[in-house]
Amino acid sequence: MKIVDQVLNGDKRATAKLISMIEDDERGASEALAAIFPHTGRAHTVGFTGPPGVGKSSLINRLVREFRERGKRIGVVAVDPTSPFTGGAVLGDRIRMADTGTDPGVFIRSMATRGHSGGLALATFDAVKVLDAFGMDLVFVETVGAGQSEVEIASRAHTTVVVQQPQSGDSVQALKAGILEIGDIHVVNKADLGGADAMVSNLDFMLEERMGWRPPVLQTSALEGKGIKELADAIVKHYRYLKAGPMWRRREADRARKELYESMRRLLAETFSEDAAGETLEGEVAAIVSRKTDPRTAAKKLLRDLKLGR
Amino acid sequence: MAKKIRVLIAKPGLDGHDRGAKVVARALRDAGMEVIYTGLRQSPEDIVEAAIQEDVDAIGLSSLSGAHMALFPDVVKLLKKRGAGDIVVVGGGIIPDEDVAKLKRAGVRAVFGPGTPLAEIVEYFRSSGT
Repeated sequence: MKIVDQVLNGDKRATAKLISMIEDDERGASEALAAIFPHTGRAHTVGFTGPPGVGKSSLINRLVREFRERGKRIGVVAVDPTSPFTGGAVLGDRIRMADTGTDPGVFIRSMATRGHSGGLALATFDAVKVLDAFGMDLVFVETVGAGQSEVEIASRAHTTVVVQQPQSGDSVQALKAGILEIGDIHVVNKADLGGADAMVSNLDFMLEERMGWRPPVLQTSALEGKGIKELADAIVKHYRYLKAGPMWRRREADRARKELYESMRRLLAETFSEDAAGETLEGEVAAIVSRKTDPRTAAKKLLRDLKLGR
Repeated sequence: MAKKIRVLIAKPGLDGHDRGAKVVARALRDAGMEVIYTGLRQSPEDIVEAAIQEDVDAIGLSSLSGAHMALFPDVVKLLKKRGAGDIVVVGGGIIPDEDVAKLKRAGVRAVFGPGTPLAEIVEYFRSSGT
């Protein structure tokens, strides 16, 4: 495909267009994704999650500069919420990433969730693949400001950075399950506000070594540019840890499994939304309503009859 | 999934008055569009780079500093240079009547001055994005 060749040749416009094609689920998107897939798997994917307003975008802005100085090419996919009422969105993460300007080694894409839950958009990690094929060494993914249970990023990224700020909870808050368990690296940003030491020790108390990696807790100030080198070093260190042992392959397999299930689910949904299958479906719906069958039995029957994988 | 209209709202140049840009961004959001807001003090180069990476259908430029005659046509020119002349450029802000025709000749498709009903602006972006 022409657009795929253009992406592989470093064409920014084509890369942006391909991401839109995937987001809008346009004709040709699946074929294009299939064609770029052999060219992916090189980039180190780093997810950033944490509550809204803790400075994820500003931190990424600083990290992009830091990794650019180290000669790396960086892609960023920044996700913001879509309005459930109007379907519209204001995507503002780019404002905090303005230092990047026209640097040819950086590609930033803002993305709206479009109804997908879990802090990501459906197309987020397909966009990551496009940026990987485009030749980026690292791809940063910024989730929507996540609460306590938006943990999808951890099963998708190689490295997950959980960002918090000082004075956002005591040691019991740190005990709670969820977002704290997914961090490979923990960051207390806005250290310039004070109170960061207490926050760091509360978090540090909760964390222990798992499979040879002990999540570090770092202090940063994106505002003042402090702690950025140390955070970049921790990201590189985690990458080396993943690559040195079985973990890189294991995370790739986790992601592949998830994407496989997801693709099957989507194909199934699409098959049923087609007219012919829709009629069969409606037949079963009527049978369920009149109590001739039950939903589970009907589902099994439909799956048996389906000619999938055309 | 239907194609979403994506719009970049940007403030080129040095003025810090972004109320109007934000009001327009909000109206477009409420009309179901995806609006990328890039904030203050952007150079034409920054704006064009962002528009290409974000694959927007249109760019809305807001200027209240009087520098629109330099900045708006620059954005149009740079887009053409990058092979992205199909992206629609419109302007808003404090723009004297005598400048409107000149801007349009320079490739700025529409200019919305103070008092323009938001519905008119929304409709313009909607028709340019489809």
